Amino acid sequence: MQRHRQVAAAPQRRASETWEAIGQLISATLERSPHITPSDVAAAMQHASTVGRALVAAGHLDKHAVVVVADPIYLKITTVSGMAATTLDEDLGPVAGGATATEWMIYLPTPDPVGESVRAAVSGLSHLSAEEPPGESTSKSAASERASVLNLDALAQRAEERR
Amino acid sequence: MSPTSTSVSSYTRTQTATYLTDVVMGAIADILADLKIDVTVLYRDWKQDEAAIAAWIEEESLQQVVLECHQPNGTVAPIIEFPVAYTTTGKGDATFTADRAALARYRAKLERVASGTTYGIICTFRKARTPQPGWGPATRASTEGLKALKFGTLGSAPHAAVSMRYLR
Repeated sequence: MQRHRQVAAAPQRRASETWEAIGQLISATLERSPHITPSDVAAAMQHASTVGRALVAAGHLDKHAVVVVADPIYLKITTVSGMAATTLDEDLGPVAGGATATEWMIYLPTPDPVGESVRAAVSGLSHLSAEEPPGESTSKSAASERASVLNLDALAQRAEERR
Repeated sequence: MSPTSTSVSSYTRTQTATYLTDVVMGAIADILADLKIDVTVLYRDWKQDEAAIAAWIEEESLQQVVLECHQPNGTVAPIIEFPVAYTTTGKGDATFTADRAALARYRAKLERVASGTTYGIICTFRKARTPQPGWGPATRASTEGLKALKFGTLGSAPHAAVSMRYLR
């Protein structure tokens, strides 16, 4: 299930605080799973914080999302900077679906000119990637969500027919 | 008695400082990455430098942040200055804006530097400042003989604005 969350950056938070808020959102979502170790998530975000703060401060995350793929979760996180940040209705609560996640990967964007730094920062790490995230439509959860929508539609139609 | 009106900003100096610090730090990160200068130390000291610059903007002691590029042959160039201008009273209707698209175009004008170039960040002050961890006395490199190019306003907030000047 695809979700998009926006996190308020400056002037509401400094870049380092914004990165921490993003980390808390990801941790809160993934730590619901008994298969995912919270300290692994915290370590990944801590490792990525070096380049993450720069991505926030330069406004790159306003346009390019951090994507968390942990089937059935497909979570895009962007930041909001400037005036819009001061009125943002922010939701940093855990995203539904985390309890059944097993595998997980955090995809960081690689905008110019910091793309090389991002790739270097995540090189060799098992839960961080600078690659393009897989398309949400190819994930199993997306297919099942679509199926359930179809089923609900069909049920509704049957209900109509019975009247 | 004639009617008077006042304009009071609904935003705080802390917000101004937070915003302009991000604008400056983000610009420095992008410029160093563009020049392919090693940013390991910038990333490592980020929280400390961010806190210091924000504190100095908030107390209005910061005059400018200066980025110096030290080339292996001893040349210090380019030098990029980020002067901060403070407003005497908060502008009530002011907004938080940053011209990042213009900065991206401007970065293309920066002269390339030799491999092995390092950098230094120096802050200058307009009045007494609160000491901040990790920061000590420093001397700026000479700017004699360098030509200045003005970028204009890089970011603005209710109580201050930051501009950019490129010396090469």
